[in-house]
Amino acid sequence: MVVDRRAEDQQLTALMIAYQKGDMDAFTGLYNALKRPLIRYLWTFVRNQTMAEDLLQETFLQLHRARQTYTPPRPVRPWIYAITRHVALMHLRSMRRRKEVLPAEDLPEVPVPPEMDQLADRATVQRLLSTLPREAQEVLILHHLLGMSFEEVGAIVGIAPGTAKVRAHRALKKVREQMIEEGA
Amino acid sequence: MSLDSIPNGLREAIESDLQPVRPLHPAWVRTMLAVAILAVVLAFVLAKASLRPDIDQLPMWLSWGCSILQLALGILLIVLALREAVPGEGIPGGAVRIAALTALAVQILVGVATSIYSPAITMPGSGITPGIGCFKYESAMALPTFVVTMWLVFRALPLRAPTAGLLGGAGATVASDAVIHLLCPMSNLSHVLVWHTGAVIVFMTVGWVAGMTWERLRWHRTS
Repeated sequence: MVVDRRAEDQQLTALMIAYQKGDMDAFTGLYNALKRPLIRYLWTFVRNQTMAEDLLQETFLQLHRARQTYTPPRPVRPWIYAITRHVALMHLRSMRRRKEVLPAEDLPEVPVPPEMDQLADRATVQRLLSTLPREAQEVLILHHLLGMSFEEVGAIVGIAPGTAKVRAHRALKKVREQMIEEGA
Repeated sequence: MSLDSIPNGLREAIESDLQPVRPLHPAWVRTMLAVAILAVVLAFVLAKASLRPDIDQLPMWLSWGCSILQLALGILLIVLALREAVPGEGIPGGAVRIAALTALAVQILVGVATSIYSPAITMPGSGITPGIGCFKYESAMALPTFVVTMWLVFRALPLRAPTAGLLGGAGATVASDAVIHLLCPMSNLSHVLVWHTGAVIVFMTVGWVAGMTWERLRWHRTS
C-alpha cells in the first residue's frame, strides 16, 4: 500500500486548523485518521491492547487541552506523537510507583510496511520487534512502521536525528541477526 | 472498546469544551516578550548604576564584548526554553546539556579573564556582605525575566518541564549577569564563582524544581 505522506500531512494540518476553530467534525477526522497508528505506538509502551486503548482516550483528552500549542502549518504528527509518548511515559511512571504489571498481549492488527515485510513473515517480525528494548523498538516503529523521517522521530523522542538513525539501524541489525540465528 | 467511533466519554468531554483557540506564536515571537522585560530591567539598571571603576582598564572585548556575548547566550537559552515548551519541538537532550554547560562555562571564563586583567580590586573583609549584595542584585534583575519566561513555558505544554525550567532559569540569570559584569566592582575569582555563578545555579535549580512541580500538577490526572 503506497501512502502519499505529503497529502496525508496536508489533510491532518487542515483538520487540525479546523479543530482549533472549534469544529467537532475535524476532531472526529483526526481521531479516525490517527487512532490506529497511535494505538500501535502506545502498544510499544504498555504491550497491552486494552491499556493502549485507554491511553488513546487520555492522549486525545490531553491533545484537546493543549490544542492551542499546535502552530500551523507545522506537521501535525510530531506534535501529536510527542504528546502521545508523554502520556504513555507518565502512565508507565505511575505504574512503576504502584508496582503494577499488565499481561503482555499480541500486537494489534496494523499494516506492515514493505521494508519490514521483506524481512520475514509478519508474525516473526512482530515477535522479534517485541524482544527489542523499548527505546530501540520505539524508533524502529516510528520510522519503519509509521513512516516518520528521522527528523520527526528525533523531535518526538527528544534526541538528535542522527541518534535516531543510529538507534533504528542498530535495532534493525539486531532483528536481522536474530532472524539469521533462528533461520527465519 | 471499539475503535470505529469516538468513545462517548471522550466525545462528551470534547464537545463540552470546543471553543475556538488561537494557536501559540512561534518560540521567537514569545521570546520577544521576555526580551522586552529583560531590556527594560537592564536599561533601568544601567541608567541608575555606575559602571565598575576598572572599566577603562579592561579591553573592550572583555567588558562590553563579553556582556553582549552573555546577553546573546541568555536570549538563546530563553528561546530554547520556549521551544522545549511545545510538543514535538523539543531540543535533543545532548543539546540541552551543552547549552546549560556553555552558560556556566562562559560565565566562569568571563570571571577568570576579568580577574586576570583586573586582579587588584577586592573588597575588605570576608566578602560575604558584598557577595550577598551582588547575589541579591543579580537575582532581582533576573527575576522579572525568569517569571515571564516560566509563565510562557507553562502556558504551552512542556513535555520535559524541568528541562524547560532549567533553561529558562539559566537564560534569565546569564542575561542579567551580562550587565552585572559591567557594574560589580569586585574582580576576585572566588567572589564571581560563589555569588555570580551561584546565582545562575540557583535560578537553574529553581527553574528545574518549578518544572517538576508543574509537571506533577499538570499530569496528575494521568497517573
